[in-house]
Amino acid sequence: MLYFDHSATTPIHPIVLDKMNSISQNHFGNPSSIHASGRKSKSIIENARRIIAESIQASPNEIIFTGSGTEANNSVLWSLIYEKNKHVITSSIEHPAILKVLDSIEPFGITYTKLPVNKFGEVNPKALEEVIKDDTGLISIMMVNNEVGTINPINELINIAEKKNIPFHSDAVQALGKTPLSVKDIRADYLSFSSHKFYGPKGVGFLYKKKKSKLNPIIIGGGQESQFRAGTENISGIVGLSEAVRLSAQNLDKRILHLKKLESEFKSKLSHYSSNIVFNGHPKKHVPGVVSTSFPGKRSDILLAELDREGIEVSSGSACGSGSIKPSFVLEEMGISESQNTSTIRVSFGRGNTLEDVNVLVNALLKYTNV
Amino acid sequence: MSDTVIVGMSGGVDSSVTAKILKDLGYNVECVFMKNWEGDDKNCNSEEDYKDALSVCDHLDLPLRSVNFSNEYWDNVFKHFIDEYARGRTPNPDVLCNREVKFKAFLDYAFDLGAVKIATGHYAQINESEDEFHLLKGLDKNKDQSYFLYLLGQNELSKSLFPIGDIDKVKVRKIAENSGLINYAKKDSTGVCFIGEQQFFKEFLKKYIPVKPGLIQTIDGKICGEHDGLMYYTMGQRKGLGIGGGHGFKEAPWFVADKDLDNNILIVAQGHDHPSLFHHGLEADQIHWINEAPTNSLENISAKIRYRQDDQSCRITELSKNNCKVIFNEPQFAITPGQSVVFYIDNKCMGGAIIDKRF
Repeated sequence: MLYFDHSATTPIHPIVLDKMNSISQNHFGNPSSIHASGRKSKSIIENARRIIAESIQASPNEIIFTGSGTEANNSVLWSLIYEKNKHVITSSIEHPAILKVLDSIEPFGITYTKLPVNKFGEVNPKALEEVIKDDTGLISIMMVNNEVGTINPINELINIAEKKNIPFHSDAVQALGKTPLSVKDIRADYLSFSSHKFYGPKGVGFLYKKKKSKLNPIIIGGGQESQFRAGTENISGIVGLSEAVRLSAQNLDKRILHLKKLESEFKSKLSHYSSNIVFNGHPKKHVPGVVSTSFPGKRSDILLAELDREGIEVSSGSACGSGSIKPSFVLEEMGISESQNTSTIRVSFGRGNTLEDVNVLVNALLKYTNV
Repeated sequence: MSDTVIVGMSGGVDSSVTAKILKDLGYNVECVFMKNWEGDDKNCNSEEDYKDALSVCDHLDLPLRSVNFSNEYWDNVFKHFIDEYARGRTPNPDVLCNREVKFKAFLDYAFDLGAVKIATGHYAQINESEDEFHLLKGLDKNKDQSYFLYLLGQNELSKSLFPIGDIDKVKVRKIAENSGLINYAKKDSTGVCFIGEQQFFKEFLKKYIPVKPGLIQTIDGKICGEHDGLMYYTMGQRKGLGIGGGHGFKEAPWFVADKDLDNNILIVAQGHDHPSLFHHGLEADQIHWINEAPTNSLENISAKIRYRQDDQSCRITELSKNNCKVIFNEPQFAITPGQSVVFYIDNKCMGGAIIDKRF
């Protein structure tokens, strides 16, 4: 099996798995208990929190563990229903974990404006300035798009938000592990992350919340995570997450280099064989290793099945959207024609892929697409 | 590599056993789950069905792909379904779904995927003789589904397999159980697939067709109640009329005998044997023949005017390219415009037409 769908999820890094196994076997205490077992678990979690904070240059008390990136997004958005300013500005190509949540909280008085994107999938900061209202209480714009890998001009957007004194959130789920990420550089109020996107376990994520930024909890109970997110902690998951974060930070340059090498090999090989193939997203401002590519005249669902038969795994559109041949709304918003849209696949490389794998993929694509 | 057969997998026991049988026969089997209905209608079990399909395919080690035909279903089946109800008729969406979705959109998709045949879990049989394909009833007389398949033609039959058509349902369930399929005891689906059980029907139609209440009259012109809209009723319907005692002479139940569409009046008759509920003949249109159209009147023909009805002896008295008149040997209860009349000679399904009028 050749796996090229790392934007959907990644395999757990063996070092991460070892750590998690060891924690699961040896430490079961409830971190809220005051006895030795409990204290041990608590200290393991706090240690994990420190590692994560350090890697993005935040303080440990700015890290809130959640069950997923989706939950991190939800907590920031739902928090707003308790606030006076209930208008949200977002972009038209956010993940459903933003857009569907906004629809769901409309009955609580939330209104929102979706900013359009250009043909590369970027939000224009000038457009943001124009839609800010008196009651805008949050700007939430993704750092990296999951389907095309385009990186938004996040600091320009944050500058505008800061000037107007509006809290800024970014869904950074697709960014960590593929681009340097420090909260000293990116001065967002909230950032959402998901562990399984960078070789950590599924079922765990975290929210970075700037110390002074407000958050009204949505999961209430035993007061864990400094009252921000109740529920007995997923100790091994949290440790797996922190180890995955640590490895990502430690190997970032190496990983980026590797992904860039695979990506450029893939693109140049394909372009060499055909001039009909189109690459979507921003040619420069994108994370390495994520390639959205269209094969004019070839339906992506058929292509996906043909590759699947050969044990080659890629995706079309976002993972949640596959299983239907509905055109991707992200590509639609980027102004891509329906015929190009439905002939688009996403290839996302990872640390396990080799140049040889890329050749197998390219050959299979050429075989099935007749481009 | 062996021939690829693609199975339309619903998550039910019939299509699951279909896949199992083909796999055992040595075909290269792949399964496709069709999602034909969008929206979060709580009565549509599509997601649960998908999970069943996935566990069955996982158990049989077969790939499962999904495809969304909701646009095709909406444009070519559902719109017609609504139009027919708005005209006071009782359509049969399953007949159309087979022609437009399962044996058109799905068939094309499967062939694009490299299939040499498609297969479904229908209780019917295909017989090839003298370069012609014939549609035969399923072996299990109780489950025979040829009624729903009469709109298929030579092209569709030549590309399809019905591997459980010569097995009875009890045995199909047995095969499923012995093969360890989780859905071996799953309830057969009933009702219209996108609505679910009968009790949701009114609520559903209301969303698409404006409600036009009116009066209920007896066959003799006596007003005996009010109806919520003619579309909610079908010929021969007994339940849900809301007519109590006091209108008739005896306590026998009331039945829908007719619809006066011009005056929006529902006409009812008392007692199952009331003569106004029975007709000797019908006129039908949109006629379709599975094999070549007959040139003269067919000998020994019989027909079903509803699914699971016993074959009724009849004569086709007038026949043109698109229309026919049918006279039955015995009067028929509740001949219903919009439903299909399907013709048989013995075990063989000849074709059928849509009932327009009765006389």
